[in-house]
Amino acid sequence: MKQILKRTFFKAGIAFIKVGLAIGLFLINSTAVFAAKNSITVAGSTTVLPIVQPAAEAFMDIHNNAKVSIRGGGSGVGIASLISGSIDIATSSRVIQTKELQTARLKGKNPVGTVIALDGLAIIVNSNNPINELNIKTLKDIYMGKISNWKALGGPNQPIVIISRDVASGTFEVFKEKVMGGDKAREDALMLASNGAVASTVGQTQGAIGYVGIGFLSEKNVKPLTIEGVLPSIKTVKSNEYKLSRPLYVYTNGNPKGLAKNYIDFILSSAGQKIVAETGFVPLN
Amino acid sequence: MIKKIVLLLTFVLVVGLQAQTTLSMEVWTRYSMTRTNSKTTQSTFSLERGYLRLDPTFTDKIKGRFNLDFFSSDKYNDGAGLKLKYAYVEFNQLVPIKYSKVVVGLDKTYFGTIYDWEYMTIEKALEDKEKIVSSADYGISLNGSIPNGFGEYAVALVNGEGYSKAGSKLNINPAPMVNLRLIPLSGVTFGGSMLYEKANFTDTIRAAYDKRLDYTGVLKLAYGPVDAWFEYLVQQYGVTTRGVYNETKSQGFMIMPVVHLGLAVDLVGRYDMWDKDTKTANDAYSRIIGGLNWNILRDAQGAPNLFIQANWQHTTFQNNTVKPTDEMMIQLRWKFSNTLN
Repeated sequence: MKQILKRTFFKAGIAFIKVGLAIGLFLINSTAVFAAKNSITVAGSTTVLPIVQPAAEAFMDIHNNAKVSIRGGGSGVGIASLISGSIDIATSSRVIQTKELQTARLKGKNPVGTVIALDGLAIIVNSNNPINELNIKTLKDIYMGKISNWKALGGPNQPIVIISRDVASGTFEVFKEKVMGGDKAREDALMLASNGAVASTVGQTQGAIGYVGIGFLSEKNVKPLTIEGVLPSIKTVKSNEYKLSRPLYVYTNGNPKGLAKNYIDFILSSAGQKIVAETGFVPLN
Repeated sequence: MIKKIVLLLTFVLVVGLQAQTTLSMEVWTRYSMTRTNSKTTQSTFSLERGYLRLDPTFTDKIKGRFNLDFFSSDKYNDGAGLKLKYAYVEFNQLVPIKYSKVVVGLDKTYFGTIYDWEYMTIEKALEDKEKIVSSADYGISLNGSIPNGFGEYAVALVNGEGYSKAGSKLNINPAPMVNLRLIPLSGVTFGGSMLYEKANFTDTIRAAYDKRLDYTGVLKLAYGPVDAWFEYLVQQYGVTTRGVYNETKSQGFMIMPVVHLGLAVDLVGRYDMWDKDTKTANDAYSRIIGGLNWNILRDAQGAPNLFIQANWQHTTFQNNTVKPTDEMMIQLRWKFSNTLN
């Protein structure tokens, strides 16, 4: 037993030293490892997309050599991509979940969130719909299917078409938490992949109801509903008067550094916060 | 076989229509060559795994998984086999413990490294390779995350014999199993698992032991591009023969460093040692594995979904009369998934 262990350990030791040397040489020769990065990839929430996309364009105008690639996918996809190391910044319209944090820590990652803007979850209907306000309980009843015709709420005799977001979406998670309380939406709810798709579908469908970030209220033929007596606006979100408001995050592995830090600092700067306001979201100050 | 396929497709349609369901497939095609005493003793292409998986979401709190495994095997006349690998339903927040879930059915085994084995080497986890526990088992578990990402736990009652042996003449009495992982610092994970089983069977069912205790200690480190896994594994089992009770202890360990060279390439090393009976001389072996994983494509979440693994493994035996073996394996793995509404 001792002999076999001794012999094998010796062989294993030699093999590992050889592999270690090879890796060391590779790393020393690899300029990609040590060179300062001049490109970063950002992915995640489709809600945050209208902020980070123009912010990236403005940032690249100032920093000629910098390249910031942006893609959506949903908050869950963004955070999973950050944990797998395939992106530099994850955007999220919800806070990181315990299971995601556990996976990150297991892999030696340390997700750090920075709030870049505030948002209100606007409940939208087709602009021809005479209904203007709802409370959260009625909204939940509509999504659960307990109320299935606008007539029950004093509107036209028209079936309610439920539009929701897909499960990878942070917007879906926030809606689930703040409105549904963990209950499931109607089986025939349309699960769409982006805020834009929800706004556009509601605009084209009489009798539809959906939810989007307030930055998506410029879509034609949609109108926001007053919830619990408050209309979503920059003022009511900032004052937390509007019940369905939330912060929007970017996550990095550890504190932001290098180009990622410069880009996030730009979003937090007055120029970046101006973009936040221009895109219909709520700036931090 | 046609009947099985028709049944399967019917099931897919029924589940797909009842709930939002993710349909996924994972295929492992492998070439293996074994050499002993400078002679090639095996040279084979095989389909090692063909997972067809359905993950229905019934409600926000209730999900399921149904997983079939198609594989090629000489054991069957048509050279192929079909196994049920997972079939369970998980109920989130069924008990009033935050981040907890209750899982019922044929679930993964919450034990040692087999529980979250990612097949960085083509070789199985040590407890799977030595058939200490199987990668999936029938039972019920309560498991969940510790708040703030500080780890996870599982308490389960399982058959203890694994998914492929259920219904055989084995000890299928329920066996308690516990698993705990703590992550005090990002990149430092440690913990352990234990499974205890006592044979209380009738005369018609025989087991290879009267009682059995399996336990393991696990340490995982992750820092920058380097990961390292350590596992110490023990099985103790006792058998009564002609009124005399004899206990056997098997033990071993595994060390596995992994270096991630960017996103495309992983270099993997592994060292296993296993002693089948600590009281018997000349029955131990050790194995060195060197490998490379080439991640050709990744999915939207950054997980590899098309990759090639190449492993060489050298096994030496304590018994000098048994010649060392070298095995070379190359494996192509690919997977895809889609959500049905």
